[in-house]
Amino acid sequence: MPLTDDSTILVPIDVSVAEPPDQVILKLLRPVNIVVLGYYPVPKQTAPAHLKEDHEAEATERLANIVSTYARADHDVEDVLVFTKDRRDSLDRIAEQYDCDAVFVPGEAEAIGQILVPLRGDVNLERIISLVGDLGQASSAAVTLFHSVAEGTDPSQGEFILRGAADRLSEEGVDRDRVDWKLSEGGSPKRDIIDLVADYDLVVLGETEPSLRDRILGAVLTPILDEIEKPAIIVRDTA
Amino acid sequence: MSDRNGQLERNIGFLEAMTLGGGTMIGAGIFILPGIAAEGAGPASSISFVIAGFVALLAALSLSELATGMPVAGGSYHFVNRALGGFFGSIVGWGMWTGLMFASAFYMIGFGQYLVEPIPFLDGRALIIILGLLGLALIVGVNYYGTEESSQLQNVMIGAETAIVLAYVALGLFFIDPANLDPFAPTGPSGIIATTGIVFVSFLGFEIIATVSGEVKNPSRNIPLSMILSVVLVTILYAFVMIVTTGVVQYETLGGSLVPVSDVAVVFMGSVGVVAIVAAAAIAAISSSNSSILAAARVNYAMGRDELMSDWLNVTHERFGTPHRAIVATGAVTTVLIAAGLNIKSIVALLAEVASFSFLVSYSLVHVALVVFRRADPEDYDPSFTIPDVLYPAVPVLGIVLSVVVISQMAPIIILLGMGVVGVGVGWYVVYVRDHAIDRGLIDDAIFPTGDAYRVVVPVANPKTQRDLLRLAAATARAHADEKTPELVAVNVIQRAEPSPEQNIAAERLERQHHLLEATREIATEIGVSLRTVAMTGRHVDETILEAILEENADQVLLGWEGTRTRQGHVFGPNLDSVVENAPCEVCLVTLHDKTIGTTVALADLGPHSPSAARRAAEFATVDATVPTLLNVQQPAHDSESAVERGEAVLEEVAREAGLEPEEYKSEVVVADDTETAILETVNHYTTICVGLSERSDASRMIFGTIAERISQEATSNVGIVRGPPGAAETVVHPREEQLPK
Repeated sequence: MPLTDDSTILVPIDVSVAEPPDQVILKLLRPVNIVVLGYYPVPKQTAPAHLKEDHEAEATERLANIVSTYARADHDVEDVLVFTKDRRDSLDRIAEQYDCDAVFVPGEAEAIGQILVPLRGDVNLERIISLVGDLGQASSAAVTLFHSVAEGTDPSQGEFILRGAADRLSEEGVDRDRVDWKLSEGGSPKRDIIDLVADYDLVVLGETEPSLRDRILGAVLTPILDEIEKPAIIVRDTA
Repeated sequence: MSDRNGQLERNIGFLEAMTLGGGTMIGAGIFILPGIAAEGAGPASSISFVIAGFVALLAALSLSELATGMPVAGGSYHFVNRALGGFFGSIVGWGMWTGLMFASAFYMIGFGQYLVEPIPFLDGRALIIILGLLGLALIVGVNYYGTEESSQLQNVMIGAETAIVLAYVALGLFFIDPANLDPFAPTGPSGIIATTGIVFVSFLGFEIIATVSGEVKNPSRNIPLSMILSVVLVTILYAFVMIVTTGVVQYETLGGSLVPVSDVAVVFMGSVGVVAIVAAAAIAAISSSNSSILAAARVNYAMGRDELMSDWLNVTHERFGTPHRAIVATGAVTTVLIAAGLNIKSIVALLAEVASFSFLVSYSLVHVALVVFRRADPEDYDPSFTIPDVLYPAVPVLGIVLSVVVISQMAPIIILLGMGVVGVGVGWYVVYVRDHAIDRGLIDDAIFPTGDAYRVVVPVANPKTQRDLLRLAAATARAHADEKTPELVAVNVIQRAEPSPEQNIAAERLERQHHLLEATREIATEIGVSLRTVAMTGRHVDETILEAILEENADQVLLGWEGTRTRQGHVFGPNLDSVVENAPCEVCLVTLHDKTIGTTVALADLGPHSPSAARRAAEFATVDATVPTLLNVQQPAHDSESAVERGEAVLEEVAREAGLEPEEYKSEVVVADDTETAILETVNHYTTICVGLSERSDASRMIFGTIAERISQEATSNVGIVRGPPGAAETVVHPREEQLPK
């Protein structure tokens, strides 16, 4: 059980390689509870139990080192070590098991100054806002809310959503002058987001429903993530 | 706090399991075998495929039940090893490994044939072999470096290949010339059965699902479903392919063809059809061969896990994480088998048939394993899929009978080669397994009886205490060295429970268990006592330990006890009570407070278990070569003389019943008003105390006994609480109450 009612974020870390913890991310995630998922990728050729036999000790040590850098007094840091052939399976399972609000996707960022938050109507809005609120409290980053409406629809609907979200953010303790919004009309929202991300240091976006094709072929990861290199936080859709 | 024990993810979903199993089956067999099959049985070869499919279905049913009961890596090997022990485990392990090598070689030669045939100016056996070897080298190379679970690509490839086969069947049905189907069975029933032996190799794909069952998500649903469904679908598909193939082209013409399916396809699909078929055949051969090499590595790993295979072979690559040595070894033997094709004309049929033989033998033993598991009904056997009652024991019995029938129709040379493979397994057992294996099957003893032994069963769970427990057990067992061979049996029980269908707990626990048991073997070697280890799984630890005691025909069970009484209605604890109460042998519960065993004392009163306690004290004393003391405490009588005499009389009686000669023990009689306090004070002078349980009441509920309980709770020395052999309580002549002066 988390110590606080702040959000819980799942942070995946590849424990098959030794990497120093990312200071930028450490700082960013200070105001939330963390579940560190140390995953050890297993090739198709090997039974996970087999690799575990050979590498559990070193993986455990690496994970312990990383977890100790995350440890703070006011928030929970839990950790899980998994030997897996597909980290997405483990991400899904552990996120569910630990009741995580969001999953962190590592990327390249020098510092977190600008956060992009694409919103899709009411879907998952409350969770996204409350998470951004948690993160915003501890940093001075500026937040840009983004929404896209289909061509020919009334843009005031989109404005309403953005304005409402901005209000909610200020209630969460993020100053109004740090919050900006962008409304796009027509075009592909996915393309818009990918283009926009270049100017930001972090994206916080809601999980998308997997399409039927994705379900059959097994690719549930948001396609946007494949095309951006910035860190992202995917807010889970548990409703 | 956090859970630092590495978890094992289950990554293979239903669809991946289907493409893995079904893909391997649709794979190469369908493209290579029709020619040989048509030659062997004419149009009736479709019946051969149906019979082979039926035999496979029976095996899939038995395997499903076993695999949902034990969803860890290893497939048939693992189940047979657990049920029938290392001897048959070794036969099946080697049988599967070599069977997969033969199958893999068979696929790769077929690969060469399909690539070479359509190109007119390329011909000749050598080229086929070279292409086959190149293909194999590619597969071994890729597997050496390791690949990610790229199920998407795999799904697309298998999907395309299946679509081409379906198109072939669907279109081909319109081009069947009924005249070709007559005569339907030119070689008669024996030809059909003989062909079954060759084509059975096509069905080994479902075994691959069982081999990776440790990685299948939601195993209780997906394993049986994917195994049974893939066998059924593939059987139907094969039957249709054979009808189309022999219906479109006369079976005698087909017989000589190395690329039967493309020869038929050219009739009604033209050159486009040939290209499609060749592409599908190439993909099929590669993917089937690939799956076989993967499965072979898993079998190797599982054998290594059970100490049936050398650890050296199973080391994972430092950088790639692949079991590279096992993969290279598999590839090397497969290379030799492919190369043998240069000299042996009918190499394809030979490889297929030997692989079939190996798997028919393995599946027969799987059926036996199922019957053994069902009959022995160990607590750990709780499969979520069970063969319906109406089909049991029909499935395993029919499975064994049909396997034997199919094998009996094989050519003598095949049977000889197949027996050679079995011989490798037997030889391996003799030279390697017998000294290494941890798992002991239920019938190992039947083959290599261990002789008359004084057997002490020691349930182990805690690495910290097991050394001392084993030392005490060894001392006890050695005390009987005159009449019987001392033997210890270390038992570890895994409690079964799978919290998430997507996590492989079973394998984690199995690993811990094996480490624990391996440690006990090392300790036993150090102490110099013969020890066997028994790994068990069960829902209730106590029941499983009792089962082990029964199976081992134990003389004594020695258990570690933390010494704390639990409150929830248990006397010693939920895992111990039933063992203490029901074990059909002597029981000793040991609480360790002190590292040394040192001087020992037994509380000798007229309780029913006093003589056993005295014996234990004498036995434990041998650890540090001390002399045991028998202690009796009396309340002062009117003259103190008679109190001491009375105490000494009791001691002599207990010593006599315990079989201790007067020079083998020291006596101590204490006279005190408060006997309990006196006992507690006195016993603490010794490092190890043995005390009998008081008695049994009518309801057969054990009563701890106030003094035994106080000693166990308050003593600072090591405490052994002893219960004599069953029936000891009834043989007591003088109940304790009557003896104690009021």
